[in-house]
Amino acid sequence: MKHFTFSWRKGLLAAAGIQLLTATMALATEVTVWCWAPEFNGAAMNEAIARYTASHPDVKITVVDFAKGDLEQKLQTQLASGQTEGLPDIVLIEDYGAQKYLLSFPGAFEPLTDKIDYSQFADYKVALATVDGQTYSLPFDSGASGLFYRSDLLAEAGYDAAALQDVTWDQIIEIGKAVKAKTGKPLFSIDQNDAGAIRIMMQSAGSWYFNPDGSVHIKDNPVFKAALTTWVKMLQTPDLYKQVSGWGDYTGAFNNGDVAAVFTGVWMTGGIKNNNMPGKWAVAPTPKLDGVDGATHYSNLGGSSWYVLSSAPSKDAAIDFLKTIWAGDVDFYQKILVGQGAFSSYLPARNGPAYSATDDYFGGQAVWANFSDWQAKIPGVNYGIFTNEADAAVVTQLPGLVAGGDIDAAIEAIDAQVAAQIQ
Amino acid sequence: MSKTLAWLSSLLIQGALWLAAFISVFPFYWMIAGATNTANDITGGKISFGSHLIENITKFFTLVDAPRVFANSFFVAITGTVLTLIVTSLAGYGFEIFRSRTRDRIFGGLLFLLSVPFAALMIPLFVMFSKAGLANTFAAVLLPGIAAIFMIFYFRQSTRAFPHELRDAARIDGLKEWQIFAYIYVPVMRSTYAAAMIIVFMTNWNAYLWPLIVLQTNEMKTITLVVASLASAYTPDYGLIMVANVLATLPTILVFFLLQRRFVEGMLGGVK
Repeated sequence: MKHFTFSWRKGLLAAAGIQLLTATMALATEVTVWCWAPEFNGAAMNEAIARYTASHPDVKITVVDFAKGDLEQKLQTQLASGQTEGLPDIVLIEDYGAQKYLLSFPGAFEPLTDKIDYSQFADYKVALATVDGQTYSLPFDSGASGLFYRSDLLAEAGYDAAALQDVTWDQIIEIGKAVKAKTGKPLFSIDQNDAGAIRIMMQSAGSWYFNPDGSVHIKDNPVFKAALTTWVKMLQTPDLYKQVSGWGDYTGAFNNGDVAAVFTGVWMTGGIKNNNMPGKWAVAPTPKLDGVDGATHYSNLGGSSWYVLSSAPSKDAAIDFLKTIWAGDVDFYQKILVGQGAFSSYLPARNGPAYSATDDYFGGQAVWANFSDWQAKIPGVNYGIFTNEADAAVVTQLPGLVAGGDIDAAIEAIDAQVAAQIQ
Repeated sequence: MSKTLAWLSSLLIQGALWLAAFISVFPFYWMIAGATNTANDITGGKISFGSHLIENITKFFTLVDAPRVFANSFFVAITGTVLTLIVTSLAGYGFEIFRSRTRDRIFGGLLFLLSVPFAALMIPLFVMFSKAGLANTFAAVLLPGIAAIFMIFYFRQSTRAFPHELRDAARIDGLKEWQIFAYIYVPVMRSTYAAAMIIVFMTNWNAYLWPLIVLQTNEMKTITLVVASLASAYTPDYGLIMVANVLATLPTILVFFLLQRRFVEGMLGGVK
């Protein structure tokens, strides 16, 4: 009996201790953020946190970074398990995956429609995070696409900046041949397992693998057919590109001067500026698809946005933080543009000084202002839930097509594969 | 004639061995050389040593809370190894020495469980640990691995070589069952333990998927998670990543070389 009272008393003491501990912790509101790419997303987030906590000392915001695939796996496992404890308050999600999370886990994310003024963000970024009229994201970095090229090498082949302002992909093939003949260097580094080019081409003409209602839009999609045909034609021109495998190989090729250009998202700007070739780079608008209705020079590759978990204990603080800095601080966006090359989809940011500055690295071009103009014109599309699956189906068919296979048969096969997977 | 043939076959064997050695050693060499180069050098295919080692190391230690991360990794690896060895060797010993039909069936069931992929267990495991209030603790990282079925199997197989005469003699001398295990079995089987230790230490040190799922804050991260995060940059800094890789590989290499002799004995089923 005596033994019992003793341990009981000890238990009471422990309980009191725990209560004391939680009581002290409750004094500060803690917000947790999950993201990937610590040098880019993490650094931008930390800058935002420094600004917010300067005026809100009672809020403590912590960034936890993971590899992108890891973060997705963690988030998915935990949302599927239904255990909300330990989930962050704010999480970064890549735009291509947004619909998948929003539709697969209804109720897991907090709609921000009546808290954020979405008219201040690029339309296409808002569209991709909207489900049934509710928008869930705080749109972050843009993937506005462009054609980065070595101005010295293209000048040698007879192309100046003016000659590259309004070109089609078919013309690009000719330009590539000329550059190879004059400089000995191919234009691009291409990894055949990456379907990014198809995505850029499709969105530039306002189309995607899927209809707005989520149904497959591949078989009778003239834009998809044009994009695939163009891409195959490019791959069938060996002079146009250096074949690479994997991301390191791909970026290494243009950062080491092996190839003369790269078409990609604006987020590559920082990487290109690190390759030590000042004054030798420039950016042109994305090439256009030939013979397609609604084809433009504006498209997107990648990009991501912040989402608030509706289960988050510090949800209100998280939303206030996003609203105050990410949807209101123009100066903040100048800082992360200069520091990280993080190009925002918050439209008022473009009026700041950093966005209009010229860059000697790009031969005095106003690179950011160009991307701002292009971004505002990117056609909005619904990425749907199965973009990665569709990409994989396309990549599977490419070798056969490059070897001269029938394009219509390949499109049938891609359509069938995607349709089978999404059932 | 037969002399030339022997010479030729030895040349072929030597050649094949050299090739195999090159294939397994070259990545290590490239990793170490890479730690001394810039990202552009590495992606450009440079495989000789460069002059950026200090720069890469400095970057690593400014970006990563190294003492904390390595302390976490060592804690997980060492605690995990000790606990796993205790539990699995006891189990393997038990299954072999105290055989009965029921126990053999249980053992068969365990072996069957080996075929269930971890991905299938991940979500239920997470729910269990989360409900038990153990999410984001090292206990959650360690517990699912402590009764490693493969190691139980390994210890059971090795116990077959343990001489029954020793046990009988110990019994006659009046030792209790646990004393026989602790004072006779463990010292006799030290090669087996050494080999098991290397395997278990490596598994725990390199553990990735499960720690990734259950650990949630920066303070708890292990080195494998940090390396993965560094590699996920939009323009990965390969010099920095190689420094991280070298540091992450060192402990396993060290453990291996320290126990190398015993490892070979243990794998051959030696009893000393």
